[in-house]
Amino acid sequence: MLDILNEQLVNDHIAHPVCFDNDCREGICGMCGLYINGRPHGNDDGITTCQLHMRKFHDGDDIWIEPWRAKPFPVIRDLVVDRSAFDKIIQAGGYISTTTGGVPDANTIPIPKHKADMAMDAASCIGCGACVAACKNASAMLFVGAKVSHLALLPQGQIEAADRVHKMVCKMDELGFGSCTNTYACEAECPKLIKRQNISRLNRQWIGALFGRDRK
Amino acid sequence: MNLPKIHSISKKILVGALGAFLSFFLLFHASANLLILRHDGGEWYNAFCHFMGTYVIVKVMEIGLLAALLLHVVLAIWLAVTNKMARPKGYHKLQRSKTHTGSKLQVWTGILIFACLIMHFTDFYFVKIGLVKGKYLAKTEDVVALKTTQPNAFNYAEQHGEYSAKENWLTNFDKEDKAVLEAAGLEVEPDFYHQAREKFKILHIAISYLVFFAVVWFHLRHGFAAVFQTFGLYNYKYGKAIEVLGQIYTWVVCLMFTVVVIGVYFGL
Repeated sequence: MLDILNEQLVNDHIAHPVCFDNDCREGICGMCGLYINGRPHGNDDGITTCQLHMRKFHDGDDIWIEPWRAKPFPVIRDLVVDRSAFDKIIQAGGYISTTTGGVPDANTIPIPKHKADMAMDAASCIGCGACVAACKNASAMLFVGAKVSHLALLPQGQIEAADRVHKMVCKMDELGFGSCTNTYACEAECPKLIKRQNISRLNRQWIGALFGRDRK
Repeated sequence: MNLPKIHSISKKILVGALGAFLSFFLLFHASANLLILRHDGGEWYNAFCHFMGTYVIVKVMEIGLLAALLLHVVLAIWLAVTNKMARPKGYHKLQRSKTHTGSKLQVWTGILIFACLIMHFTDFYFVKIGLVKGKYLAKTEDVVALKTTQPNAFNYAEQHGEYSAKENWLTNFDKEDKAVLEAAGLEVEPDFYHQAREKFKILHIAISYLVFFAVVWFHLRHGFAAVFQTFGLYNYKYGKAIEVLGQIYTWVVCLMFTVVVIGVYFGL
């Protein structure tokens, strides 16, 4: 719809085209992120903006499109926001330190199936920022919870777990995201259906990091 | 002035821990209030209040409770202000996400509870610390002996209040009587049984308390499960059970408070 709008704007010399983020257009990359009629990614569950079909609207409907609104996501132009705050949080601790080299054989580290499933579910976060956009406090707790969870659930991630959660939460606070007040709008609007249990795990990890001895 | 640096999750954990402490107190308070429904002239309820007002550990806990309440309010407001600053410019379109209403209103229900607490304190707690007048009782070693040792005080007590020979208590006195009884060497303390029975008989006060309990219900309904989430105890296995437990706890506490007010109003 925005492509057609932009074509009209340009062809009819009405105005500059409306700027908006997009890339893969199949719900994988997390680039598209628009606040449509009061909901991030529009009026459907478990989808990104690019997967929202026009058939979800009625003829003659007004469509209000807004950019993500949050202090750490400054609007660059029109509907484009700078989401590099998420990158900064990942840079702060969302990784594991390991020596590079040959790829180890599969299943050399046994991992229970349910743990692998939960880690995979958390890892499906595409970092689109819908959680922040939906949250009344512009909190990034679901994003950080997912990133902390998918590493903390696996043996490779557990070694640095305490340090990781501390650094990522400190960075999240420093960037000006709000705190979670358990409204769960993030869970309702996440295109990858990431669950609130990841926020609970983040809180658990945080308590462990505060009182544990593993942190540097 | 620089405020101390407390991380957002730690702040939430503190608010949650204090909220949990206050919630347990509510259950205790509501259970004790059921004694008001006994038609014993306040023997049991006033005995309980006497214990609460004199036992030193309870008095220390009372200070802790008031401190917890104030800290809970201050931290919650601090969080709300910080959260507001995280989105300086809001959306034009009203949010339509499927979310818990309780959380969105938690700050407002909290402020309402605080306002209602001022009413509640004026009715009861401030009587205890002597800021407002209410009903009083006097305890004596032997109420029958008082008849012979201090006939004037006994006659005054009989005319202005009630006495229980069993408990050696003279009850249901007004503030004006307090001075007379104290002059007679009696130990005077608030009579919360008659105080509550008198207050809850008045329609607008009874309605105010019912509104108060409805707001507490709203606040607690969200707060109970939220505490588990904040402490990291909400998981795939016990998530539903925690929510059901929260509903039961909220209903039980609020109904216990409500039944006392309605019961007294209708003369039970």
